[in-house]
Amino acid sequence: MSSDIKPTATLDVRGEICPYPDVKTKKKLKSMKPGEILEVIVDYPLSVERIPRTVEKMGHELLKIVKVGESEWKLYIKVKG
Amino acid sequence: MIAPVHILSGFIVGLLFGFVLQRGRFCMNSAFRDILVLKDYTLLKAVVIALIVEMIGFHAMATIGIIHLNPKPLFWGANIIGGFLFGVGMVLAGGCASGTSYRVGEGMVGSMVALLGYGAFAIVTSSGLFKPFKDFLQKSTLVKIPTDINMYAESARTNPTLATITNVNPWIWVGIITIIAIVVLAWKGRGSEEVEKPKSLYERIFKQGWGWLSTGIAVGIVGIIAFPASAAAGRNYPLGITGGWARLFKYFITGDPNLISWEVLEVVGLVVGAFIAAYIAGEAKLRAPDAKRLIQQFIGGALMGVGAVTNFGCNIGHVLSGVPQLALSSLLGGFFIVLGCWFAAYLMFMR
Repeated sequence: MSSDIKPTATLDVRGEICPYPDVKTKKKLKSMKPGEILEVIVDYPLSVERIPRTVEKMGHELLKIVKVGESEWKLYIKVKG
Repeated sequence: MIAPVHILSGFIVGLLFGFVLQRGRFCMNSAFRDILVLKDYTLLKAVVIALIVEMIGFHAMATIGIIHLNPKPLFWGANIIGGFLFGVGMVLAGGCASGTSYRVGEGMVGSMVALLGYGAFAIVTSSGLFKPFKDFLQKSTLVKIPTDINMYAESARTNPTLATITNVNPWIWVGIITIIAIVVLAWKGRGSEEVEKPKSLYERIFKQGWGWLSTGIAVGIVGIIAFPASAAAGRNYPLGITGGWARLFKYFITGDPNLISWEVLEVVGLVVGAFIAAYIAGEAKLRAPDAKRLIQQFIGGALMGVGAVTNFGCNIGHVLSGVPQLALSSLLGGFFIVLGCWFAAYLMFMR
């Protein structure tokens, strides 16, 4: 499943409060090269729904959302280009 | 003392409110801030729908005599300064009054810390060190409308609404605002209700986050139920948050059982309802940010406490419960909550 996606970088925003997971993800994506894959580990439910909307608006591709435990998700985002 | 049945109704309305808030991630701090920081209008649309549903519901109940509208007094200085402080505070705290409360039920330790600051400084401002500041602002800027009491409200002199100040039937305003909101939503909001894969009704209610339309309608319905339920317990007002927490905290300090009110039971029910919703969805977990962020959230909560008591209402008392009554105090106080939110969000996230 998620093993076939090889993330270039990982961003762990567990514990962070609204809207830092989203803002930090946006910033991190801006620093990455086209085609690279960012893995975001997040435990805040609202951001799990909002990050996909935001990154798709920025033109990046959301590859996958995996729920890895109680209130914990991994998001995989491919940088546009 | 209020009868147990009324206390029970506060708890049940709170349970429903907390459940709906958690499922819909209904937080006005996120709603207002996301417009600016993330260009995301999803939660704002939920807020607008909730206000429209409540506005129609409140005025329908008032027209047939189930409730009497009870707009808050207008004191412009207190509404402006209190609203702005509250708006700045909720950005630092990472949640408005309802957002912070439901996240306590999700197990977010930072929101618990924010709530401590919020409750403590609500008491400091309502009956402690900051009381003279709040009293001065409220008394010196209280607006008395220099007209005779008109046919639409007994309290029109100091508690003006859009309807009383223009001396028209409130349904005219209800109609105009509803039409504008629906036109704007139909134009700007089309096609953005999440397209969901076909799943069972159980999964859509208990496992997935709700879309903005379902969330807005559900919050509005809870607000409509709250008004007569709370009025029956002697508190003639719909949903509130600040008063509930302030009285609960004060009860812990003084032990005076008379402080246990409908609103206290409502906020306790809210946290339990949010916990139940989060637990079923697999979203309940104790989690905490670092120490620096915790201090930021405590300061945010404290500013919210000062702001809400000065403004005579938080984003729930003013925006969710007062704006649908067309209260001028709530429109002004709510507007400055939004400005405070944008001011802090700009400084923190956009530079």
